Amino acid sequence: MNCRKSRALFSDFYDHGLDQKSHKALIAHLSGCSECQKEYDSFNKILVILKKLNKYDVPHDYIKDIRNF
Amino acid sequence: MKVEEFNLIDRAKKGDRKALDDLFGREQRYIFNLMIQLTRDPALADDLTQETLLGAYQNLNKFRLQSSFRTWLSKIAINLFRKECRRRPKHVSICLEEIKVPSEKTLPERIVIKREMQWCILHSLQQHVPKQYREVLVLRDLQNLSYEEIAEILSWSIGKIKSRIHRGRKILRAHFVNGKCKAFAEKDYLCICDGILEL
Repeated sequence: MNCRKSRALFSDFYDHGLDQKSHKALIAHLSGCSECQKEYDSFNKILVILKKLNKYDVPHDYIKDIRNF
Repeated sequence: MKVEEFNLIDRAKKGDRKALDDLFGREQRYIFNLMIQLTRDPALADDLTQETLLGAYQNLNKFRLQSSFRTWLSKIAINLFRKECRRRPKHVSICLEEIKVPSEKTLPERIVIKREMQWCILHSLQQHVPKQYREVLVLRDLQNLSYEEIAEILSWSIGKIKSRIHRGRKILRAHFVNGKCKAFAEKDYLCICDGILEL
């Protein structure tokens, strides 16, 4: 697997959506390629931070009475 | 769809006020949250939520129970959001104070850096990832929906969803890492991506 192909799989890899063969091939590539490893690390970190921001504090009284519509 | 929800919708369609209140009451916080993620503007999110609920209320009889009620509402909400995007100017700034920071036991400096990173990532997502990619990223990475749920809401194939998510994440990362926010900065906010890119 080359770097270009490896990076095209990052998103599916992050979502655990790769088949076993691609998963193994990507892991093998990442183990030997520090550039792709670094790129995946930053890709992963951004998404982890994003996930932690998933909830906005909706006010507790945020209930619209649809009978007013 | 759960039997309970099916019954609730059935009763609501027949004009049962209590069923109507229950049905809408339990989804409106979710829709408001989704709209906040897409717009980062509480007032606009509130307007879009109300429009969504009103639209759903008026069209409840057209709901054919082919998806969950939440999915149907999300679909209406996303369409209203798209309509709003066509009408509104781009690049609305957000305030740092709006971002909820998880509790942190590390050094104060780390908290500041983390907060800045969160702000920049959100800012990149909100303002620099094109809308067609932002929608899928919000649904997948902020709302944690499955590919199947997103496909239902957006009426796209799973293949298209996957490819949009892949492309959207790539754009988000590239934008964030390259620190392009700075070039787009306007007077009312300061983007400081450049100093915190040691990922």
